[in-house]
Amino acid sequence: MNLLKQIPWGRVGMPAVIVVLALVFGSMNPNFWSETNIANVSRQMSILALLSLGQTFAILSGGIDLSVGSLLALVSVVCAQWMLEFGVVEGITAGIVAGALAGLLNGVLIARLRVPAFITTLGMLVAARGVALTLSGGLPIAGLPRQFLVVGAGYIGPIPIPTLLAGIAFVVAHVILSRTRFGRYVYAMGSNEDAAVLSGINVANYKVLVYVMSGIFVGIAGVVLTSRVISGQPTLGEVQELYSIAAVVIGGGRITGGVGGIGRTLMGVLLLGILGNGLNLIQVSSYVQNIVIGAIIVGAVYVDLARERRR
Amino acid sequence: MTTHISGRGWLLVLASVAIAGCGIGTEPQDSASPGPAGSTESPAATITDYPRPEPPSTQYTIGIALPHLSNPHYVGQAYGYLDEAAALGVQVTMLEAGGYQYLDRQVAQIEDLVASKVDAIILAAVSGPGTVGAVENAAAAGIPIINVNVMTDSDMVVTRVRSDDDVIGRMHADLMGERLNGEGSVVMLRGAPGTSWAEIRGNAFKARLAERFPNITIVGEQYSQSTPADGLRLMEDFIQTFPQIDGVYNGADTTAVGAAQAVLAAGKTGEIVMTATDFQIDTENFIREGVITASVLQQTVTMGRWGIRAAVNHLEQRQVPPVLFTAQVPVTAESLETIDLSGVRAPDGWTPPAH
Repeated sequence: MNLLKQIPWGRVGMPAVIVVLALVFGSMNPNFWSETNIANVSRQMSILALLSLGQTFAILSGGIDLSVGSLLALVSVVCAQWMLEFGVVEGITAGIVAGALAGLLNGVLIARLRVPAFITTLGMLVAARGVALTLSGGLPIAGLPRQFLVVGAGYIGPIPIPTLLAGIAFVVAHVILSRTRFGRYVYAMGSNEDAAVLSGINVANYKVLVYVMSGIFVGIAGVVLTSRVISGQPTLGEVQELYSIAAVVIGGGRITGGVGGIGRTLMGVLLLGILGNGLNLIQVSSYVQNIVIGAIIVGAVYVDLARERRR
Repeated sequence: MTTHISGRGWLLVLASVAIAGCGIGTEPQDSASPGPAGSTESPAATITDYPRPEPPSTQYTIGIALPHLSNPHYVGQAYGYLDEAAALGVQVTMLEAGGYQYLDRQVAQIEDLVASKVDAIILAAVSGPGTVGAVENAAAAGIPIINVNVMTDSDMVVTRVRSDDDVIGRMHADLMGERLNGEGSVVMLRGAPGTSWAEIRGNAFKARLAERFPNITIVGEQYSQSTPADGLRLMEDFIQTFPQIDGVYNGADTTAVGAAQAVLAAGKTGEIVMTATDFQIDTENFIREGVITASVLQQTVTMGRWGIRAAVNHLEQRQVPPVLFTAQVPVTAESLETIDLSGVRAPDGWTPPAH
């Protein structure tokens, strides 16, 4: 018991849960550990991972980004249409730029016009889906060049390209948050915005940047997903915004901002990803999966709060 | 104390997973007679039966990826799969994506089935173009794909077990045109965008109308998820938009059930000719009440059975035809009582086991 008390649960608790889960799934279906499946899980997680990175910035800064799910659809449609018209590279670029521009619009509305982040991005959630449906006429955009498949299905060495992209994004985001002035300001804004303003930080500009970053991450995710489904799809990404928020808070990010980080979000993404895949492999009903995930979201935050109250 | 609370919290997480793990059970129950479609109409290469093969000596596991299980159409199909699998001694892993809009989820489910090394995958695709990559990955991993009901655009499939959606669309047009005496304004509730059924049926309906009944005009058409709520909403709006609607086409009866309620609420029962596809209980009742004029029945249970049979035949190295059309049967109030439902619906009260 003494030994147990010395373990820093806040640090190892979630990784321990993930390891135990993986062992349980592995023992129930040996294919869980197969090379194909590990490539699978990491590829499936890469989309949520990218969305959650942007969400981490938004939530840390004291805001939220509810628009990431439908922006995914908008990016997919823009990417596919430009790709058909102009070529693969142009399509990819257009998709990411579309994400960034939508993020910029979010940021300007929130920081300059002072519309609350929840409302702004809620509006964007609805409107972006509408734009995606309008641009595409509601139909999937098929006939993308075969070589574009490589983005979602290719490998570099043993690593799937989506996994690699998400990995690079994680490192970049971590460096930005922990090593740059912008990163420190994000925490400052989220902890106490008034104090941040009084200490001379140009909060508005940095806030805009937060949502642009989220938009760029959505852009990358949207391009990867478009390739995985080899078509532009206006119905993609439904409820993904909620999963990205879940990933942030399960990892231990505080929903009101100021507390959290890329490492913690990674834990949340890993937990959700491994759960989804593992429960499929051991044939748990997808309805029951939802119950499990819901319980875990609340449970994880409860544990966090309980620990905080003890301090 | 801190450690205690945290420890318990993690336990909670694990416990909830463990509880979930207990809910497994895809074993189907008793077996009914294999219901070959009562085929009254066979303009294309519709065959009347694709007989059950001998139970294989190998224990096969077949993965099934369905768009969803929340309407009677897919529940009937699930019954077909599970009942046939039980009869043939085949293991089944059945996954559903939660709706036609969850393409990313279906792609992940196909990947998970490949990873768990099932012997074959039966796929009803949520999107034709969207499933191409996943299907080709599965084929590259050496797992045969049997495409049932809703088509993937990939041609890397062993066979396609399906209704002839082209024929269904034309039947709608014939029913509609004859009831309207070749004249009137029609709206279309096409169904889920990007699916083979919504596309092919809708296009065949329009082409046939234009050819046989040039004086019928299509004044509006909408795609939507195939749920009664979507059908209700779209039909209410159509009634507001167009003062005169004489006919409503429904690619699926799920939207028809909603549209029927809009027609009832607007007091237009009997004034509007409504055609549907499939035959859930509500559709049957609305036909009896005269709100829905006619429906084209698909043999969804039969599709499920034939899907399993085709998979087993392929795994046992037997030749499987590239397309297996099940029958489609038009039903009106007059023919309501004479329909053979064994290939259309799951038995009363049957629900899919934990899937």
